Amino acid sequence: MASSFIPTDSPIHQLAGDLGANGLPYSLPIHPNLVHLTIGLFVIAVAFDIAGALYPVEKRVFRFLALPITRQGFHDVGWYNLLACAIFSFFTVAAGFFEMLLAVPLPGVTSSIGLQSMETMLWHGVGGVLILLVIIAMTVWRGYQRFVWRKDMGRQVQWLYLLVGMGMFLVIGLHGTLGAELAAEFGVHITADQLLAAGADLKEALP
Amino acid sequence: MLEFLPPLNDHNLPWMDTLHPIVVHFVIAMGLIAFVFDLIGTLAKKPALFEVSFWNLLFATTAIFVAIIFGQVEAGLADPYGKSSEILNLHTTIGWSLAGVLSLMSAWRYVIRSRDPQQLPLSFLGAGGLLSALIVLQVSLGNQLIWVYGLHTVKVVEAMRAGLV
Repeated sequence: MASSFIPTDSPIHQLAGDLGANGLPYSLPIHPNLVHLTIGLFVIAVAFDIAGALYPVEKRVFRFLALPITRQGFHDVGWYNLLACAIFSFFTVAAGFFEMLLAVPLPGVTSSIGLQSMETMLWHGVGGVLILLVIIAMTVWRGYQRFVWRKDMGRQVQWLYLLVGMGMFLVIGLHGTLGAELAAEFGVHITADQLLAAGADLKEALP
Repeated sequence: MLEFLPPLNDHNLPWMDTLHPIVVHFVIAMGLIAFVFDLIGTLAKKPALFEVSFWNLLFATTAIFVAIIFGQVEAGLADPYGKSSEILNLHTTIGWSLAGVLSLMSAWRYVIRSRDPQQLPLSFLGAGGLLSALIVLQVSLGNQLIWVYGLHTVKVVEAMRAGLV
């Protein structure tokens, strides 16, 4: 069996001179920052559609709080937040792929759920694209509910839509755990971890 | 009493992963998008978006208190080294200040919305712009704590326990 498939001259060396200690051409990774928008907007979008769907139940609570509400208002949050989520998520996934190409995970680490670095990156990369597809599909679905199928109804969303949304909370939670492991366990793009792995003394390298 | 507390794991945490960065999703995303929707609502004359940004702002305000609770616990267990302890101090100060700023803006917005939900004074839009700038600054500080100094990452915790940092 061949000892190695990876030539010593792998193309990453073309960039080596431009990369910092964290493995990126800039000091802070972009993907984890865009992720705040994808996750925050998605979760709040579905949560407010749930609030809109259960409107008759919570109406009294809000009256008690002297906070005027309308069902339409809740569903507006559900729709516009999801739309914004769909737009931002393209950039989240694009930045994720760029930064994954430059990722150098710490060697010899197995994550707390028992995966190695390449497996974690592959699941996180493919999962990210699939989640983007589901977000786009749900945005189209939500658009049809809002503008066509349930245009004249008080409850703008189908129960199935909310169920799929809550299923996505679980998927996104697992997916985010993989991403968090790439940082906190595999040290991907973390300057201090990479310096330690290279044998540097942090007292001198990161005073 | 102390023996009832869970032992610290290899992240130096009593729970699986850092929770503060998860809760801040909602402060960052909802705080920033509230300003974006206010801006689009004003420029495109779409007052329905003011309602959307109101709820996002209210949610950001609720979430920041949860974020601060986890942030304080995890900061206390972080054992910052080098310049990261200065950054952590600044991050903490701005974090509490942001809780105040967000609460005031939510209260102000509540009054605006009660009087006329169709109108948004330009002064509020300006304040929203400043809030966004403050959030971006705060995020960049938090970024340095994790992506430069690697606080709570397994490798750094390991080095810390070995007395290397």
